[in-house]
Amino acid sequence: MLKRLRENKSSQGTLLITPTLIFMVGLLIIPLLLTLIISFGRRSADGNVIYTFGLHNYIRILGISTACEGGQSLCFDPLYANILRRSLALAFNSTVLVILLAYPLAYFIARAHPKRRNTFLFMVLVPLWTNFVIRVYAWMMLLRTQGVINSVLGWLAGLVGIPFAPFEMLYTPGAVLVGMVYEFLPFMILPIFTSLEKIDNSLYEAAADLGANPIRTFLRVTLPLSMPGVVAGTILVFIPVMGTFIVSDLLGGRQVILIGNLIQRQFLDARDPTFGSAASLILMAMTLIVTFFYTRKFGFGEEIVAA
Amino acid sequence: MKNNLWKVLAVFVLASILLVACGGGAAGGDEGGEKVTASGFVCPEPETQIEVTSQELNLFVWTEYIPTEWKECFELVYGVSINHDEYSSNEEMYAKLSAGGSTYDLTLPTDYIIGLMIRQGMLEELDHSKLPMANYDPNYLDLSFDPGNVYTVPYMAGNDAIIYNSETVSDPPESFADLWNPEYAGRMVMLDDSRVIIGMALLTLGYDVNTTDPAQLEEAKNKLAELVPGVKLFDSDSPKTALIAGDVDLGVTWTGEAFTAQQENPAFQYIYPTEGAFLWQDNWVIPTGAPHPDAAYAWISYTSQGSLFWLMLRDFPYIVPNKAALDYAQANETELYDAYMNSPITNVPEEAIAAGHAIEDVGDATPLYDQIWTEIKGSE
Repeated sequence: MLKRLRENKSSQGTLLITPTLIFMVGLLIIPLLLTLIISFGRRSADGNVIYTFGLHNYIRILGISTACEGGQSLCFDPLYANILRRSLALAFNSTVLVILLAYPLAYFIARAHPKRRNTFLFMVLVPLWTNFVIRVYAWMMLLRTQGVINSVLGWLAGLVGIPFAPFEMLYTPGAVLVGMVYEFLPFMILPIFTSLEKIDNSLYEAAADLGANPIRTFLRVTLPLSMPGVVAGTILVFIPVMGTFIVSDLLGGRQVILIGNLIQRQFLDARDPTFGSAASLILMAMTLIVTFFYTRKFGFGEEIVAA
Repeated sequence: MKNNLWKVLAVFVLASILLVACGGGAAGGDEGGEKVTASGFVCPEPETQIEVTSQELNLFVWTEYIPTEWKECFELVYGVSINHDEYSSNEEMYAKLSAGGSTYDLTLPTDYIIGLMIRQGMLEELDHSKLPMANYDPNYLDLSFDPGNVYTVPYMAGNDAIIYNSETVSDPPESFADLWNPEYAGRMVMLDDSRVIIGMALLTLGYDVNTTDPAQLEEAKNKLAELVPGVKLFDSDSPKTALIAGDVDLGVTWTGEAFTAQQENPAFQYIYPTEGAFLWQDNWVIPTGAPHPDAAYAWISYTSQGSLFWLMLRDFPYIVPNKAALDYAQANETELYDAYMNSPITNVPEEAIAAGHAIEDVGDATPLYDQIWTEIKGSE
C-alpha cells in the first residue's frame, strides 16, 4: 500500500489535497447547500424550519407583492432593495476612500529606503494585533461629544480665546466611514505595496530617458503596473465591508439596518432562518457578481495571494 | 534589517510572558478549616447539603451577572470545577441551545422566551425538594410564563423605563408619549430591542404590547417613524455609557443601567411612565439533557441562600426576588440594604409594578415585528 503510494504521483497528489478537500466540502459546500435548502422553506410559529419548496423568501427580498394598495395586481416594495443599495453604497464609498488613502502610503513605503521599509510595514500591521472591536471602541472614545478630539480642540480654542461648541461626530454616517476606512486600510496597503515593490527601477530610468516627466511616468508606468495590487486590495476590502455591521452599529448608533444586520436579525430576533438564508445567498450572489465584473475588467493579480 | 525585526518581536514575546507570569497571583483556598476566596470572602457552608458526584458544572449566563465569589466558593465547597459561557441576548442563548449538542447545565432565560423553550422541549422539570423554594418572594413565583414554577426559579428581576438627566432636561417626560416631544429630538438613546420600542409605541396608542393585529402594528409603525429620526443611538449593550458621557440626555433603559448611571451622576432620574413600564424576570432553568443536573441543583440551592445571594445587592443593582438575601442584608449589610430599599429603581413602587407590562412571545407575528423594525430603521 505504502509502496504503491510512493510510486504513484497522482495518488500522492490526492492524498495531499485531502485535508483541504474535507475542509472545503465540510465547512463550505455542505453548509452552503443547507443554506440553499433552508432558504426555500417556511418558518413555523416557533421559528423552526418547515422544509418545503417555495420562492417566497426571494420574492419578499425583491419586494414583489401581489397585495397592493389601489387595486394593482403587482407592485414593488423597495424595503429590502433599499437595504441592499445602502450596504452597496457604504461598501463602495469605503473602498474608494481606502484606495485613495492607501495608494500614496504604499507608494511611500515602496520607494522608501529598504532599511526603513520593514519598519513602515511593521507599523501598518501593528494595529491588527488588537481586536477589531476594541479598535472601534477606541474610535468611540475619540469621537464622543466630550471625547478626546473635542476636548483637545476645546482646550486649544480656550488658549486662543475663541468660543468653541463641540462637534457632533459620534453616531453620524461620517463616523461610520472613518471607522470603515481605518479598519480596512492595511488590507489595501499591503497588496498595493507588493505590486509597487515589484516594479523594476530600470523602468523608471527608461521612462525618464525617453523624456517622460514624473506625472507621465506615474500615469503610464507606475499606475498600470500596480493595478493588480489595487484589484487585489479592492477584493480584500469590498467583500468584508459588504457584510460588516459592527462598525456601523457602534459608530453609527444602530440608526440604520445594513444587509449584515438584516441577516443577523433573522437568525436571532425574528427567528426566521429561512428568510435569513435567502438574504445570505442574495448577499453572496451580489458580492460574487460585483467581484466577477470587476476582475473581468481589471484583471486578477497574484497579489491577493501575496497579501 | 530582518535581524532587527526579530529583536523587536523577541522583546514583545518576553514582555507578554512576564505579564502572564505576574498575572497568576495566589488564589484562595482552605485556611484553617475556613474556605476563603482570593478576595478574602469567607464562604458560608451550604444550608442544605446536596449530594454531588459530578466533577463539573457548565454555566451559560448573561454577561456580568454572577458575583465572582459564588464561583470560587462553589468550587471550594463542592469540589466542582465551573465552566462559564456568556450571552448578551435571549435570542443568542436560544439559537445556541436550539442548535443542539449543547452541554450546559444551567442557563438564565428571561420570562418571554421561556414559553417557547418549554414548547420546544428544551427544559427539564425541576425537583422542588432540592431547591430552597422558601427563600423566594412569592410575588416572583407562579407567574404566567411558568405556572407552578415547574421549569424555573427566579433569579433577578427588573424593568425598562425612562431615564433622563435632570441637569440638561428642563422639562422632564412623565410618559412614553412625552418622548415624542420635539425638544428631545437628537438627544435620546433607546434600547435596540424591537419588542420594547414597538411596544412603547403600542402603549401610547392604547394597545396591548403583545398585539398581533397588523392594523394596530401598522399604526405603531407610523407613530415610531416620527420618533426614530430623533433617536441618536440604539443600544442594548450599555446605554448608560452614552448617557454618562453626555452624548445623549434621556432615553429608555433598564434597571441596572439606570442604577449605575445614577451612581456615576446623581442627576440621572429614572421614572416609571404613566403607561406602565416593561417588567421582566430572569430565571434559572436546567436545559434538557444537562450532563450534571446534581451540580446544577447544588448551585441554585447554594447561591440562593441569603448569605451568598446578598452579593447581588453589592454587584448587580437589579430587583432581588430573594427574600432570604434581603433579610440577610438587613441584618448584616445595613448600608447596602438601605441603598436598595431607598432607591425607587430597585425597590419599585407597588403601583409601578401593578401598571407594568410583560413581553410575551408572539409566535407567527415575530417576523412582522422584525419587518416593522426594519422599515422604521430603513426609512431615511
